[in-house]
Amino acid sequence: MRKQEFLDALRKKLSGLPKLDVEERLAFYGESIDDRVEEGCTEEDAVATLGSVEEIAAEILGEIPLFKLAKERIRPKRRMRAWEIVFLSLGAPIWLSLAVAAIAVILSLYVSLWSVVVSLWSVFAALVACALSGAFVCVGLAATGSGATGLAMLAAGLVCAGLAIFLFFGCLAATKGAVWLAKKILLGMKLCFLGKEET
Amino acid sequence: MDIQLKRGLLDVAVLAAIKDGESYGYQIIKDMKPYVEMSESTLYTILKRLEAAEMLTVRTAEHGGRLRKYYCITEAGLSRLDAFKAEWGEVMLIYQFVCKEEKSNA
Repeated sequence: MRKQEFLDALRKKLSGLPKLDVEERLAFYGESIDDRVEEGCTEEDAVATLGSVEEIAAEILGEIPLFKLAKERIRPKRRMRAWEIVFLSLGAPIWLSLAVAAIAVILSLYVSLWSVVVSLWSVFAALVACALSGAFVCVGLAATGSGATGLAMLAAGLVCAGLAIFLFFGCLAATKGAVWLAKKILLGMKLCFLGKEET
Repeated sequence: MDIQLKRGLLDVAVLAAIKDGESYGYQIIKDMKPYVEMSESTLYTILKRLEAAEMLTVRTAEHGGRLRKYYCITEAGLSRLDAFKAEWGEVMLIYQFVCKEEKSNA
C-alpha cells in the first residue's frame, strides 16, 4: 500500500472523528512515512511497518471516550433548514421515545450481564455460609447429644463447601468473561460512530 | 503491566527522549526502540498530552522540501523528569527488597 492510499483509507475509517484531530493525526503518520523513506525504506515497507489501517483505527478509537464520539456524530454538518427543525420537533414524540427505548435496551443488556455475575457470586456466598453454619450446628447438636443429626449436618456442610470451591472457579471465569464482553460491547458501540460516513 | 502505570512511565520516557535537544516523531520512536517498542498512535497521544500539560512545545520547520514537527522540552518537562528520578529511587529500593525476599525463599 502506498502512502496516499494508506492515508486515504485511514481518513475514511476515522471519518466520524473531529476533522481537525484526524488531519493532525494523518499529518503525523505522513511525516513518519516520509522519514522512513528518507532513511532508504521503500514507501510500501514504510507503510507496512505502521501496521494495518484497522489496527490503527481500533487503537485510536480505544483512546477516545465514547461520549466525545457520540457528540461529534450528533453535531449537524450544516445549518438545519426551517422545515427540518419543524419536522424534528413534530416528530419528537416518536424519535425521542425510540432513542430512550434504544438506550434502555443497551442499559438493560449491560445490567443483565452483570447481574449474572452478581447472582453467581451470591450463590457462592450462600454455599460458604451453609458450610460454615453446618459445621457450627454440628458442634452444637453433638454437644446436646443428638450425634446422628449432627453428623448429617456436618455432611451437608461439607457438600456445600465442596460445591463452593467448584463454584469459585466458575465465578472467576464468569467475571472475566463479563469484563471481556463489556469491553467488546463498548468497542462495538464506538465502531458504530465510525467509518460508515463517506466523506 | 498496569495501564495507568505504563502510561505514566511512557510519558516520562518520551520526555527523556527530547531532554538533550528537540526531536521529531520518527527519531523519538527510533531512540526508544532498544528499550521500549512504541507505535505511532501511542506516541502521538503522549505528545498531545505532554503538550497540553505544557511539558513540551511544538514547532513546525521545513525539512527537505516538506514540513516536519519538532518537539522541545520545557522547564516543566525537565522538572517532571527530575521528580520522576527522585520518586523512582524509592521504588527501586522496594524492588530490590522484593527481589531479595524471592531469593531467600528459593
